[in-house]
Amino acid sequence: MRSVSFVSSCLAALSSFAVAELNLSQPLLSRQVLSSSFRPPPVFKNAHLVRMTNLDKAYARETINVIIENIDNKPQTKYYLPFDASLISKVGGFEVKDKKAPEKGPFKVEIVEYDTESSTEFYLIHLPTPLAARGQQTLSITYSILSSLSPVPASIGQTDKQYVQYTFSAYTPSAYETEKQKTKIKFPNSDVPDYTTLPADLNAENKADPQKQGSTFTYGPYHNIPAGAQQSVSVRYEFTKPLTHASLLERDIEVSHWGGNLASEERYWLVNKGASLKNHFSRVEWQKSSYMSPPTSALKILNLPLHPGALNPYFTDDIGNVSTSRFRPGKKEALLELRPRYPIFGGWKYSFRVGWDADLSSYLRKLKGDSYVLKVPFLEGPRIGEGLEYARVNLRVILPEGAANVKYSTTVPIIASTTTLHKTFLDTVGRTSLSLSAINVVDDLRDRELIVTYDYPWTAGLRKPIVITLGVFSLFAVVFVIGTLDTSIGKKKTA
Amino acid sequence: MAAPEEGQFLKQANSQSTRGLLRVIILCLIAGAAISSRLFSVIRFESIIHEFDPWFNFRATKYLVQNGFYSFWDWFDDRTWHPLGRVTGGTLYPGLMVTSGAIYHFLRFLSLPVDIRNICVLLAPGFSGLTAFATYLLTNEMASSPSAGLLAAAFMGITPGYISRSVAGSYDNEAIAIFLLVFTFYLWIKAVKLGSIFWGALTALFYGYMVSAWGGYVFITNLLPLHAFVLICMGRYSPRLYVSYTSWFALGTLASMQIPFVGFLPIRSSEHMSALGVFGLIQLVGGVDFIRAQLPSKQFQTLLRTLILVIFVVAFGGLVLLTVSGVIAPWSGRFYSLWDTGYAKIHIPIIASVSEHQPTAWPAFFFDLSMMIWLFPAGVYMCFRTLSDEQVFVVIYAVLASYFAGVMVRLMLTLTPIVCVASAIAFSQILDTYLNLKSPKVDVKENASSEPAKVVAAAVLPDGLRSTRNPLVGIYSYASKLTVVGSASIYLMLFVLHCTWVTSNAYSSPSVVLASRLPDGSQHIIDDYREAYYWLRQNTADNAKIMSWWDYGYQIGGMADRPTLVDNNTWNNTHIATVGKAMSSREEVSYPIMRQHEVDYVLVVFGGLLGYSGDDINKFLWMVRIAEGIWPDEVKERSFFTPRGEYRIDDEATPTMRNSLMYKMSYYNYNSLFPAGQAQDRVRNSRLPAEGPQLSTIEEAFTSENWIIRIYKVKDLDNFGRDHQSAVSFDKGHKKKRATKRKGPRVLRVE
Repeated sequence: MRSVSFVSSCLAALSSFAVAELNLSQPLLSRQVLSSSFRPPPVFKNAHLVRMTNLDKAYARETINVIIENIDNKPQTKYYLPFDASLISKVGGFEVKDKKAPEKGPFKVEIVEYDTESSTEFYLIHLPTPLAARGQQTLSITYSILSSLSPVPASIGQTDKQYVQYTFSAYTPSAYETEKQKTKIKFPNSDVPDYTTLPADLNAENKADPQKQGSTFTYGPYHNIPAGAQQSVSVRYEFTKPLTHASLLERDIEVSHWGGNLASEERYWLVNKGASLKNHFSRVEWQKSSYMSPPTSALKILNLPLHPGALNPYFTDDIGNVSTSRFRPGKKEALLELRPRYPIFGGWKYSFRVGWDADLSSYLRKLKGDSYVLKVPFLEGPRIGEGLEYARVNLRVILPEGAANVKYSTTVPIIASTTTLHKTFLDTVGRTSLSLSAINVVDDLRDRELIVTYDYPWTAGLRKPIVITLGVFSLFAVVFVIGTLDTSIGKKKTA
Repeated sequence: MAAPEEGQFLKQANSQSTRGLLRVIILCLIAGAAISSRLFSVIRFESIIHEFDPWFNFRATKYLVQNGFYSFWDWFDDRTWHPLGRVTGGTLYPGLMVTSGAIYHFLRFLSLPVDIRNICVLLAPGFSGLTAFATYLLTNEMASSPSAGLLAAAFMGITPGYISRSVAGSYDNEAIAIFLLVFTFYLWIKAVKLGSIFWGALTALFYGYMVSAWGGYVFITNLLPLHAFVLICMGRYSPRLYVSYTSWFALGTLASMQIPFVGFLPIRSSEHMSALGVFGLIQLVGGVDFIRAQLPSKQFQTLLRTLILVIFVVAFGGLVLLTVSGVIAPWSGRFYSLWDTGYAKIHIPIIASVSEHQPTAWPAFFFDLSMMIWLFPAGVYMCFRTLSDEQVFVVIYAVLASYFAGVMVRLMLTLTPIVCVASAIAFSQILDTYLNLKSPKVDVKENASSEPAKVVAAAVLPDGLRSTRNPLVGIYSYASKLTVVGSASIYLMLFVLHCTWVTSNAYSSPSVVLASRLPDGSQHIIDDYREAYYWLRQNTADNAKIMSWWDYGYQIGGMADRPTLVDNNTWNNTHIATVGKAMSSREEVSYPIMRQHEVDYVLVVFGGLLGYSGDDINKFLWMVRIAEGIWPDEVKERSFFTPRGEYRIDDEATPTMRNSLMYKMSYYNYNSLFPAGQAQDRVRNSRLPAEGPQLSTIEEAFTSENWIIRIYKVKDLDNFGRDHQSAVSFDKGHKKKRATKRKGPRVLRVE
């Protein structure tokens, strides 16, 4: 409980800090603190709710399609979705769309809490158009829950299958009464040795709960579940793949107008959250099994698809170049195959950095006057079938020296953004750099873009050549003056 | 190589500044060649620190850059020599790290954020350019011909004897020390020539820098006094010598005492006594010189005799007294091994176990110096011909350095500069002679014929001798000139070829990374060391203690960033012997040792799968010898040899060998890679016993891809208080051995 409140207060502090110094080019995913007596007003009713939990990847992806109905007699705009406080810090990529009109884009959402002692927190969804009394609307809510899978048993043999456990509530948590609901769970395979069975009388159709269809389980349907009801269930299924977790990703994008170059560098701190080895690592077994390449809980390779035209890639870690990488440039995409120095088994860590160059012209466009617009991917991490989750992403866009009036927009939820100066390579004032931070990002967001606009007067580009020229000339002058000094003691001998 | 010749051609050009400019350009090109010839390994592999010692220097530099100078100065490192620790700040030569740190901060000041690793990697090539320049200056002081300096600079730039210690990545003290050595000598020669306090003080300054950079400063400490002493003995005492020597000695000794590691050694250790002695002597000679100018010669003779006698007795008696009473430290072991090459092997095996402390093999001279090996004596001979003060220096330096280079491979490095200087003097003499296109004029002929000797000779001898027919003695035909110059240039080209070949093949592999060729010709990199070190770095507790043989201590500290028991700073022989004992004893003996030292992991290097010969089994006998030096009763070298005196690892290996921890760790599980009974060790070319060794107190934790590094985890104490042997046999389902003897007679319980 204390830790929960600690985490939430930390988050609150962080977000308030972020609000304090920020160029507000877009509303933040900030936290609104309400009074402790707050309860979500019972103005809605969930007419029909279907939740899909997809466990294909190393994190749980949930999609809730819900028909909400305004049972109040005034139009309403605020819909609350409750989460457990321990869970909300793991929720990432939270997005709400109108199911009927997804092209209208995501709704504005924010996290609210009403009591630091309470274990429940809410996502507040702002409906863009107030829902009239008795009116209905279909929401499509998607989010991922990071670090939600835990290996059971926690340690396995090197060639054993890995089983992971996922615990959730059979009743979709809601702040409102739900008339009809069910939960579908999609497993990666049909090897599900353990799962919670619920008594059939809970089920609206009095059938065995859950219903199995291949690798899909269905809990429900349930009728008339009151607000806040929970029914904990857990499932355990085979997942002999690494649970790759990046505790931090630092990503730098450096724009050079002189060189016409866009340099990217990414620094990863990876850990495999899968089951640890029961005995120690055995090279003999590993070499024997590598001929068959069976599924394994170890992370062997990371494929990093880059945009076509990527150049000069490098893959290093704290002690130098990792020689086991391969780069395949191609028309459609350039593939960078990274092989860590050792297979990363459960509980093992690996940190590294990769970087590459690209031609700036395919990312940068000149607007009228001295304005430029830069469009880069927010995230370009490795593409792994089983997915990759990032606890925190720090993105830094380093613009040329003298760039001003920086604005950005992206659809990835950002928790903090600052504009600072970054001094490097013979800079005199430093380059303008835009730092963005996001937490709980999953690799589904790979294709999201970041658009940065800035002003860059052409005179700013001449600053460096002038400074260097002056510097060299003054050096010559100083050397000349020193050379004419006479340091000898006594009279000069005449030859 | 054409550059110096070109300079020679243009000697005729009148314009002073044109020649000056050309010389600057040539020197810049030489510096460029020196730097670029050292970059093979960066281009082939990457910008990486090489070998063993440089890893420590690199780690220390990082510490300096991160924590600032004062905490570096007071650095107590508890991550080495566990549990003793090392007073690192007081036991290293800080010159190298401070130089890199200064460059790093200077570049930061210019807002050029160059990574400290790249500065460290490229420091040695950068300084080699400066060394070439310093050699140019030094040679110019020696020789009249301006081409000698340029030739010497070019020789110094590319000679393998110096490249061996200064390729990119070999971030060792020698990287900057050779520049400092040559430059200090240049300043000294300049000071002696001019008799100037300014140059003497500069000599002292750079001497101080040298002391802060390399233990080899003792070479300067002894060479300069020797030079002064020889000059005095030759009756060449002059106020110039007095001024330069005294200013160097006084300031230089003070400067050297500022280094904590040197401290009071300059006035206490025997190695520094010659400098002090000559300092005293030169005062006497100076005083006597002064008195002689004042007194009549007879009184002076008496005075001189008494003075010499008294001073000799007092000085010698004082020296003996101080040595006996222990104020002056006796000679160190490394110093003895300079005179007796067999000394170390008998008394200090740890010194003998380092390959660079072995006596030099003859081919090494040719390998490192190529054609200069036969030009060198010629150059020394040329110095003998004129024998001015500075040429005496060349002669002394040549003699001393030749001896030391013969005793220790490592000291080839101090020989190289003088070889370059002397060969350049000889070579430029050849070029100067034969590139002179002018023939003597007719009036020479007239002069010759008018000489009385020639007239007599012409009268006595018949017309048959060619020399008498043509009194113009010398080689003046273009053909012979062309032949000599042509062959000289061919030698120069061969020299360049040899140097490049040696550098590329022998001195440009990082030794951390091994390279091999795939069948399709592409390069395959064997990166086992870094694989295992990085695994340790990422997946073990931050203070997990790693036990390995001392060779790998610095690398583990640098790359794996984990505490080690022993490392390449071999200051504590007993601690190293403890590790040697743990490695060479049976598990039951080793386990308590490892527990006492809180060892978490044991790391061994095993090359059997790949045929990598520098592995621990091949180094094993040194571990045994060093352990035997401390525990002669418990570890015996003899018991590792078969009765026929062979060192074997197969079926015929001795039981001591097969039960030693090192043997077990190397071959544990190895035979499961092969069909039954076919396990093969590719380094020692022998088939292993059918049944592999069993381990009970440690367990395999990690093995690198090609099995070069094997890491074992030391087991914790058994939960049930059993010893590990019985715990393992219990787990395997073996029956517990019956205790053969009961503890005492059975007693009936009466209660």
